[in-house]
Amino acid sequence: MSSSFRILLSLLAGIFFGFIAIIITCLLTATSFAEFAGEIRSPEIISAILLSLKTSIAVVLLALLFGIPAAYILATKRFKGKNILDTLVDIPIVLPPLVCGLAILIAFGGEGIFSRFDVLFTVKGIIIAQLFVASPFLIRSAKTAFESIDRDVMDAARTLGASEFYTFRKVTVPLARSGIASGVVMTWARALGEFGATAMVAGCIPYRTETMTVGIYMHAMSGDISASVALSLILMSFAFTTLIVFKYLGTIRDGNLGTRGAAAQ
Amino acid sequence: MIQLDGICKSFGENEVLRSLDLSAKKGEMFVLLGSSGCGKTTTLSVIAGLTKEDKGDIYLEGSRINDTPPHKRGIGFVFQNYALFPHLNVYENVEFGLKAGNKRSKRGGNKTEVKRALELVGLDGFEKRNPMKLSGGEQQRVALARAIATEPECILMDELLSNLDAVARERLRHEIAQLQRDIGLTSIYVTHDLVEAMALGDRIAVLNNGKIEEVGTPEKIFYKPEKEFVARFIGMKNIFEGRSAALDEDNGVLQISTGNFDLTTVFVPSSVGTRVKACVRPEEIILAKSDRNTSVRSARNEIAGRIVSISQNGPLMRVLVDVGGDEMSADITRLAVRDLGLKGGDRVLLTFKATSVHVIL
Repeated sequence: MSSSFRILLSLLAGIFFGFIAIIITCLLTATSFAEFAGEIRSPEIISAILLSLKTSIAVVLLALLFGIPAAYILATKRFKGKNILDTLVDIPIVLPPLVCGLAILIAFGGEGIFSRFDVLFTVKGIIIAQLFVASPFLIRSAKTAFESIDRDVMDAARTLGASEFYTFRKVTVPLARSGIASGVVMTWARALGEFGATAMVAGCIPYRTETMTVGIYMHAMSGDISASVALSLILMSFAFTTLIVFKYLGTIRDGNLGTRGAAAQ
Repeated sequence: MIQLDGICKSFGENEVLRSLDLSAKKGEMFVLLGSSGCGKTTTLSVIAGLTKEDKGDIYLEGSRINDTPPHKRGIGFVFQNYALFPHLNVYENVEFGLKAGNKRSKRGGNKTEVKRALELVGLDGFEKRNPMKLSGGEQQRVALARAIATEPECILMDELLSNLDAVARERLRHEIAQLQRDIGLTSIYVTHDLVEAMALGDRIAVLNNGKIEEVGTPEKIFYKPEKEFVARFIGMKNIFEGRSAALDEDNGVLQISTGNFDLTTVFVPSSVGTRVKACVRPEEIILAKSDRNTSVRSARNEIAGRIVSISQNGPLMRVLVDVGGDEMSADITRLAVRDLGLKGGDRVLLTFKATSVHVIL
């Protein structure tokens, strides 16, 4: 009985692993090296890669600027309505990106309250769309990291003569750094892979608002599969790097803080 | 000097401090003694400015500091769980307060100050070590050095030794007492441990339910408490209600009748019939086997009774004796129990001096 159960388990798991591996392999073998090398020299592809990198890095910086204070407040302060704010952060995570894009489109569109900002179909629009969708990952991760710091450690800093800001810079952030770092990686990856909201807000204008994901979609729809594949492979290499960095950060965080302290000396 | 006037603090419905008054003199080791949940830690937290009081005033060296933020109070705090900075080494931990206090970093750093602080706690040479890898006792020394290095006006210590094993606890206790005396730092030390309070305190305040019951020298708190709560808290086992029966000021004695037996005690001004409480520490009682049924009245108290039970009480044996309806505990050595051949049901004579009876009016 138990051996047939084991066979069934292996079979089902095998189908799942095989499914993923085969599909990834199909993508990897859809192009030749020469074809790939040719594609990535195309000005449109280069422009898409640069635009994606530019916007996703801008998103990470903006998310740090606004998201870290938000995470810190949610993690350390007590106030009325905190639960509402906390839930607000989760909304972009659970909402379909297309819906996020539509909401931004309405807010910044002709009748919207932000209509005087000219962001639709521009790079600014891409950044806003990606920020909206991706920044909650940083806030979540940083908040958890802030929460896990022993309250007494921060209090100790205060009684030693450190202002709240000094404590924040020298104690809170350093102790939360691996949580913040994994939040940065997740946010960056999410921004880089963002398609729905971006396309909704900024459209698909070659050389202007064509990010890598938008490019993949446009080229695939117009039958230019090799350009799509080239962009996909580059995105995939970014994704793998992210995955490795993320796993590495995870190992650090799971190890005790002490070894990290020692390693920093 | 630290002074608290009428400090009140509630957390939601829970009233933790109820108009607490306290005054620790300059250079003294002031121990706040109480069971857990009595408001000891909250008191320290309010003094340090980490918890905002609902009502009352806090004075440090005469100036009111209610509105001074914690980092400007100049009050050091040593936490029960050490609260060291895990991302910094021992040197950086101790240096933290020196750097935080000065806007501009000094040329050459703070080497001398850090070294001196580490020497004071016996951790010279530990500079490069990772504090998380040190033993509990060593971590607490780092925490002490870190607090002392900033040269605070006073230092608050919260259950400093309770996370340590017995050996480390006793060693560090001696060292803290020595260190505090050497640098003459006004200190408030919180503990639930009687031995610690006794060993460390210049004065002890017994805290109960958010208020101070009684303040006094260890001698006074442990041997002559004024409140029944304090007497019970410090482990006076035998507390009997009675009335002053006869006063003899010339011979300096007072007779107290509990109804079941009479006690002779050192003279305390009172009038015949006054309700009093008489306390006898179990270790002050001597036991002897006896078939006598009556108590003898003398300058020494001799009370006849029958053993109810004998049990282990730390290194001693606690003998519970029925004395005419009341119960009296006596602590004697295991050897004495064996030599006397004591067992449950035996008739015994309990003997103790008049000076061993403490009277609470």
